[in-house]
Amino acid sequence: MARVELRNLSKVWDSSVAVNGIDLSIADREFVAILGPSGCGKSTTLFMLAGVYMPTGGEIRFDDAVVNDVEARDRNVGIVFQSYALYPNMSVLQNIMFPLRFQKVDNPEAKARDMADLVQVGELLDRRPSQLSGGQQQRVALARALVKRPNLLLLDEPLSNLDATLRLTMRSEIRRITRELGVTTVLVTHDQLEATTMADRVICMRAGQIEQVGSAEDLYLRPETLFVASFIGSPPINLIAGEGRNGRVEAGDQRIETGQDGQLTIGIRPEMITVAETGLPGTIRVVEAMGREILYAAETNFGLIRFLEATSQPRWRDGDQVALAFQPEQTLLFGAEGKRIADHYAKLGVTTDA
Amino acid sequence: MTAIDWTALARRSRRRRSWSTGVLVGFLSLVSIPVLLPFFWMLVISFSARTGGVDSAVLWRACAVLVPVTAAYVALHAFRPWPRSYSAVACLLAAGLGLWGMVGDDLHLYNYRFLVTPNLIEELHGAATAGGQFPWVWTALGNSLLVASASTLLKVTVATLAGYYISRYQFRGRAGFLQGLLILEVFHPWMLAIPIFLVIYWVGLLNTLSGPILVLTAIDLPFFIFIMKGFFDGVPWDIEMSAMTDGATRRQAFYRVVLPQARAGIIAITVLGFIKGWEEYVFVTGLRTGNSYWVMSTYLYYVAEDVMGVDYGVVAAVAVIYILPSLILYLFTQKYLTQMTMGGVKG
Amino acid sequence: MSSSKFRQASNALLFLGPASLFLIGLLLVPIIVDLVVSFTDMNQTIKVDEFTTKQFRKLVKPSEEAWFGFELRSSFYRALMLSAIYVFFTLTIFNIGFALVLALTTTALPGRLGGLFRAIWLLPRMSPSVVYALLWLWVVDPTDRGLLNQILSITGLGPINPKLDAPIMVIVCANGFIGASMGMLILTSAIRSIPEHLFHAARADGAGGLSVIRHIVLPALRWPLSYITVFQFLALLVSFEYIFLIMGPARSTMTMSMLSYTKTLAPDTGSGQYAYGAAITLILIVIGMAVALLLWRLTNMKQLLTQPRIEVQ
Repeated sequence: MARVELRNLSKVWDSSVAVNGIDLSIADREFVAILGPSGCGKSTTLFMLAGVYMPTGGEIRFDDAVVNDVEARDRNVGIVFQSYALYPNMSVLQNIMFPLRFQKVDNPEAKARDMADLVQVGELLDRRPSQLSGGQQQRVALARALVKRPNLLLLDEPLSNLDATLRLTMRSEIRRITRELGVTTVLVTHDQLEATTMADRVICMRAGQIEQVGSAEDLYLRPETLFVASFIGSPPINLIAGEGRNGRVEAGDQRIETGQDGQLTIGIRPEMITVAETGLPGTIRVVEAMGREILYAAETNFGLIRFLEATSQPRWRDGDQVALAFQPEQTLLFGAEGKRIADHYAKLGVTTDA
Repeated sequence: MTAIDWTALARRSRRRRSWSTGVLVGFLSLVSIPVLLPFFWMLVISFSARTGGVDSAVLWRACAVLVPVTAAYVALHAFRPWPRSYSAVACLLAAGLGLWGMVGDDLHLYNYRFLVTPNLIEELHGAATAGGQFPWVWTALGNSLLVASASTLLKVTVATLAGYYISRYQFRGRAGFLQGLLILEVFHPWMLAIPIFLVIYWVGLLNTLSGPILVLTAIDLPFFIFIMKGFFDGVPWDIEMSAMTDGATRRQAFYRVVLPQARAGIIAITVLGFIKGWEEYVFVTGLRTGNSYWVMSTYLYYVAEDVMGVDYGVVAAVAVIYILPSLILYLFTQKYLTQMTMGGVKG
Repeated sequence: MSSSKFRQASNALLFLGPASLFLIGLLLVPIIVDLVVSFTDMNQTIKVDEFTTKQFRKLVKPSEEAWFGFELRSSFYRALMLSAIYVFFTLTIFNIGFALVLALTTTALPGRLGGLFRAIWLLPRMSPSVVYALLWLWVVDPTDRGLLNQILSITGLGPINPKLDAPIMVIVCANGFIGASMGMLILTSAIRSIPEHLFHAARADGAGGLSVIRHIVLPALRWPLSYITVFQFLALLVSFEYIFLIMGPARSTMTMSMLSYTKTLAPDTGSGQYAYGAAITLILIVIGMAVALLLWRLTNMKQLLTQPRIEVQ
């Protein structure tokens, strides 16, 4: 129902900069997620979209119109808070009907009941928020945000107060409901799985700036920066930092071919590493069973390197000698500023030091 | 869906925002004037009145300078085109220059001569009347300081100990003690003035400074115990437990770990207690302390009664000196006082 | 006695002993003393000759027609009515009404500005009572020196004498300017403790300023408002300090508590009719008990009595 555009948007609190000039456009009916660690400015951005915070600089545009000065009450946005922020003195029905009070609608109660049915809280309408479980409160908050058919739905860490199983169901529920209503949605979260499973596009933020915008696959396989590479993925990516000389990084008698010189960081995802006949020699130091997979960490000249094997019984024990191999095109190479050097892959070579 | 006119909405919001702040500030300034003006007048009188009369024109001329300057400061504050400190300095400068020009010639310190002249009041009103022989003001100041500090020390100590015990210890009758305290909290001190007078009479403490000190300690106690209990309730159990696993006894844990955490509460009740003791009038007169000792409340009361027609300026100056310690204390500890109220009331 | 028992006893004595001594000696004992003295003929000499109900007979007289067979004597009836009027208007206009308005408006302003206005309203409470009363005397001075009359003379109106013409208004305002600040503080912190997200949610839901007050703020203030009402009702009922300091023993403002004060302890005018004063005090104590019970219901006893988690003495 609305296209949203941010142009050089920033927010400064007294002296600290929360959001530092971000540009972003969100298409109509798109579902985007803003992902980042706490304090990266993602919630501040969301509250500026809602009209709760006033931007210090830049522009927010809805359908090409600048709405910086439009108050929250006039923006027609729906918002779901981390704490749900249900009105404690009102019943579920009254909560859902609240936004309709301020609009001239025919038969608001019927609209509220329809919305309650859509989010499946139709039987709880007479209860108070304090009598609901976390998941139910979440659904009521969603219904309240959606009942007035907002231009834009904003979700601020909506799942972080739920337990793990409920989180899984609510993820697909929210996706279903927003798709059904065709509403433009912005989700703010620090949980990468939440962002990548729910959103069409993920915006990764850090320290008030956008690091990368892309699909889940983009962020995982083609991170633009060292920060994105290390923030996305669990268990985290292996990072080997070193000085490139003559096109390679060396440690002891082992070296990794990079084709690049200078301060370099080589990133290799744990699941891309296999144990082979020849490769980087290492000694197993950590063995962690993770259900269907086993996570190992082997000590090499380049430090501890984690790798995964999809077996239920450990193949290696503490102290075993292994040789680690990986495909060059599955590695990432980052330069001195933490930017990915796009056309270069790391190759592995082992010298025996003649 | 019809297209939304965002530009019109933005314009409306901007207008509404600037209006609402303006209306609120205007309203609050208007209702605050009656509260502030008398205090300001007292100050003006004390610095400008000469024997025999008050020139009220000084007040209005001073207001003519200060009101626009204050308004300008608030406006600068609200819209903030400049850094705050600049506008504050500029406004202070403007106020100073304005006052100098408008009323500078009328200001003098003559009314404050009672601070250095021991017999001033006696000379002013001639023969002694209701108040008896007036001492030098420093005697009254000293006695007030003694009453206020002694009662404050007592009630802060007693309330802190009791507040900690009922917050942190299990003992038989704890519920009963708390409920009793809740009832006693309701009994406003003034209500019990007569029977308290009788009790003090029977223990032979009428006509002393100890009488009001003890009574002042008792009457605020239920309230203060609740305040301190509230603050102690807010101290996490973990730090007390860890102090004890580190080898401290319970009393050491209280003294070294818990007490510093309740600092804000202690400051709050100290200030409140002191201001209460400093201003005390009802019990100082009721317990006949005034017969033998002068304190500031009775001093000002009788100065006002005896000298008012003769010399407004001196009365105002005494009042200014009397109010000063309370005011300074209040201004410096304001944030603690506002913190406390709910803690005490929540129960 | 085992050492732990001993420690328990010594702790109780150390922590609770002093408080108990003060509370019993100067609050509990006086209540009992008052109960006894009100049924005696004690006067200036502080001696008791006989036990009698004559103090109460000074307040009420038997009557065939009246309810309960008693009729209030005119002076007491007058005091009761004056108290009722004074308490009602001060409470509704200032201690609740203005307190609420001040709390709502100052919290709507940006932090420091709101704090400035709250500080101004706390000024009277922090000033010594004699100074505050003196200021009022100067404000309502009937000559053209009075601040009020100076302002009136600018508008061209003649001088007035509020102490004579509108005595109740004077004491309502004088007490109200002080009374409003207590409610203001309690309500301000109650408003502050409303989760910020609720305000944001309401705004995003389309609510304007007044709707936010009605649907978010006022529901959260129900408890503190009833607390203030009950507590301040009693505080005003028993208050006499400012009334006495401003009005003196004037008949026009002789409320119940003023009656008991001026007949006993008031400087210069008090005539030492202690038993009579005690009888009036007893009526106030009974009202106080009722208020305490009401307050009891408003207090979260369970929270108050949370169990301590360390058992070591």
